[in-house]
Amino acid sequence: MKISEVVNKTGLEALTSWDDEELTGVYISDMVSDIITGATGCGLLLTLQTHKSLIAAANLVDVGAVVFARDKRPAADVVELAEKAGIALFSTPVDTWSYAAKLFELGMR
Amino acid sequence: MSTCAHSWSMTGIRSGYLVVEGCYHCGARSSFFSTEPVAPVDEYREGAHFWEHLAGYQAVTFDLRCDSCGKTIDLSDMMGLMLSTCDDPGCEVGRLSLELGKKTSIYVALCADSSHAGGACVSDAGVKALTEYFNQRLHSRRRSIVVVPCKMCDRIDRCTGIVIADTGLTDFY
Repeated sequence: MKISEVVNKTGLEALTSWDDEELTGVYISDMVSDIITGATGCGLLLTLQTHKSLIAAANLVDVGAVVFARDKRPAADVVELAEKAGIALFSTPVDTWSYAAKLFELGMR
Repeated sequence: MSTCAHSWSMTGIRSGYLVVEGCYHCGARSSFFSTEPVAPVDEYREGAHFWEHLAGYQAVTFDLRCDSCGKTIDLSDMMGLMLSTCDDPGCEVGRLSLELGKKTSIYVALCADSSHAGGACVSDAGVKALTEYFNQRLHSRRRSIVVVPCKMCDRIDRCTGIVIADTGLTDFY
């Protein structure tokens, strides 16, 4: 599923510029040490974590897009780092579980 | 010499704590990976050093295994990975970053002894396998990852970068 489809159907707010890449799956985690062992390339990462470490981990495993639940927003230097790394950041006002359910309803696995 | 074009996977994933200690006598820093249920915070003397606890982060360590030939690379000498943001032309890592450009991310493999007083660091085989592994995972063909050992940094204690560690999650212990 393309990022644009997920953005439009789940009402995401973009926090960075983004390319309309194909997303291959979903991973949910708030621990960067877990993300580097579990997340897959070009997947959507759903998290509450807004620390710079998250971008370092997401870049290492080639995450396609990061969605922050519960309207979490990273600091400006984190957004800048994501822009440099080419990682698309989005925010959703809903909680992690509710957003995961939306993705499931869209057919993402 | 192996002719296998290795296809690496993570193996032996170990969850625990990256514990960072400093010697208040000479300023040296040391780190180790602990799999104890609660990260140790004890002060102790070891030879000329007086180690005190500086920080503890939840972290993982792992090894790499080739799915094709079964070769395993032991990465127990690696304490963590740091995304380098160094652009200091006086540092070898900074020079490499300037040379490779923005499409290449440099990750520094951190060993236990930042002073490298004993000469040891993350092994060359480990660094090579890590570079191959993370590039094999990349779907974006327009970018690449290079892993370098921390002994390549001019001074790792002053190096600029972002360590992949779960900062703050042990503060309540």
